[in-house]
Amino acid sequence: MRATNVSFRYRRGDPWVLSDASLDLAPGAVAEITGPNGTGKSTLLRLLAGLLRPVRGRIDERPAVIGYAPERFPADQPFTVAGYLRHMAAVRRVAVPEELTARLGMDHLLGQRLPDLSKGSAHKVGLAQALAGEPGLLILDEPFAGLDVTARAELAVIVAEVAARGGIVVASDHQGDLRTVPGVTRYEVRDGKTTRVARVVEDDPPTTLTIKLPKSKAEALAARLRAEGHEVS
Amino acid sequence: MIPLVTFRLSGYVRSHRIFQPLVGLLAVLSIIYATGVPAGGELPSYSDSAGILMLVFAWGARGLLDNEPDEQRLIAITAVGRRRELAAGLLAALLLTGALALVALVFPLIVGFAATPGAADLGYGAGLHLLAVLAGTALGALTSRPVLASPAASAAVLVGGYMAILLLSSASPWASVPVLDWMNAAHHHELPDRAAVIAASAVAWSVAGLAGYAAVRRVRG
Repeated sequence: MRATNVSFRYRRGDPWVLSDASLDLAPGAVAEITGPNGTGKSTLLRLLAGLLRPVRGRIDERPAVIGYAPERFPADQPFTVAGYLRHMAAVRRVAVPEELTARLGMDHLLGQRLPDLSKGSAHKVGLAQALAGEPGLLILDEPFAGLDVTARAELAVIVAEVAARGGIVVASDHQGDLRTVPGVTRYEVRDGKTTRVARVVEDDPPTTLTIKLPKSKAEALAARLRAEGHEVS
Repeated sequence: MIPLVTFRLSGYVRSHRIFQPLVGLLAVLSIIYATGVPAGGELPSYSDSAGILMLVFAWGARGLLDNEPDEQRLIAITAVGRRRELAAGLLAALLLTGALALVALVFPLIVGFAATPGAADLGYGAGLHLLAVLAGTALGALTSRPVLASPAASAAVLVGGYMAILLLSSASPWASVPVLDWMNAAHHHELPDRAAVIAASAVAWSVAGLAGYAAVRRVRG
């Protein structure tokens, strides 16, 4: 997928939110969008998702199946979590994401009504609907905000899995949790431009860690660590 | 697209906002049919019902289209595409207003009419309600949140637009949706002769309204 010289403003006469912004995202790319508040990160994500049309420039080769998780999940809807996910799975013509709800630690929420959820729990519902159906393009607006530690770690693993099967992931991330995903490319949005930020190579030599844990959990932990880019033997 | 239509209708019913047009519908039907309709007055009553209920249909359509939060609409667009999301919303609104119209057609058969109308009158009555469904849905869509973000402006344009339609339709059947024209024709037993013009004008205005809504959504999402 390629965004070429994309410029956008919400109304004629308004200042440009983005000006000649370009991104080149190959299959399997994970892009972290950073930048100060109000610089147009969410606008860039909506343009990439096809929710806004560029005033100038073009976005080509957008994958057909798109998953989109907004910064604030719209919890003011008269459904239970299970009912909502069932409806959205039917809309996307995919299976209900039961494995995802377990991995994100939200199985106990399934019977709750959406308006009764906490901010973090509602955010998980937004992520689950976006991740259902193996999206070719996954757009996540501040996906780690409000999540508990376990869910944050699991989401990073899920993102790595989406990328590993060729999906493109673009996420704004103030927390920096996405940097645990191998191969992530960081872009900064500032003054309407997107700038690829060189990865900071830290003086961080590898070390060996020995972990004692129940045998039944060893395989799952090993898989998770491998997905995060660690060497496991 | 059908699952999205089901989702929209389900959300609307579960939110209990369906009671708003239902109350309006029952109020209008109660007023029209409270004293009973003597034999021969069925078609004029149906024409009045269709003309007045167009405002209720518009209100219902706007309520359904505005029921889901804006962010949910964005999620739906990414899930099914912009055109299908637009079509699903309009189809859900048409199904809602169609169901309301069906109640309006059946209600007087049970409590209002002294005699059961003939097949022709029933057909014309159904046709006029169908025109009201189309025009009401178009008016509701044109006053929904993506077009008019302010609730106050939306309500004012919805009621004002309906009043304007009534006033303009007294001038010519082509000046607007010909509501007064179809009432006038039904009361003077001229509906069979003028039905084609009335239907053509109402459908043309409704299609223009829905096309305008689609054009605005294409720009604003």
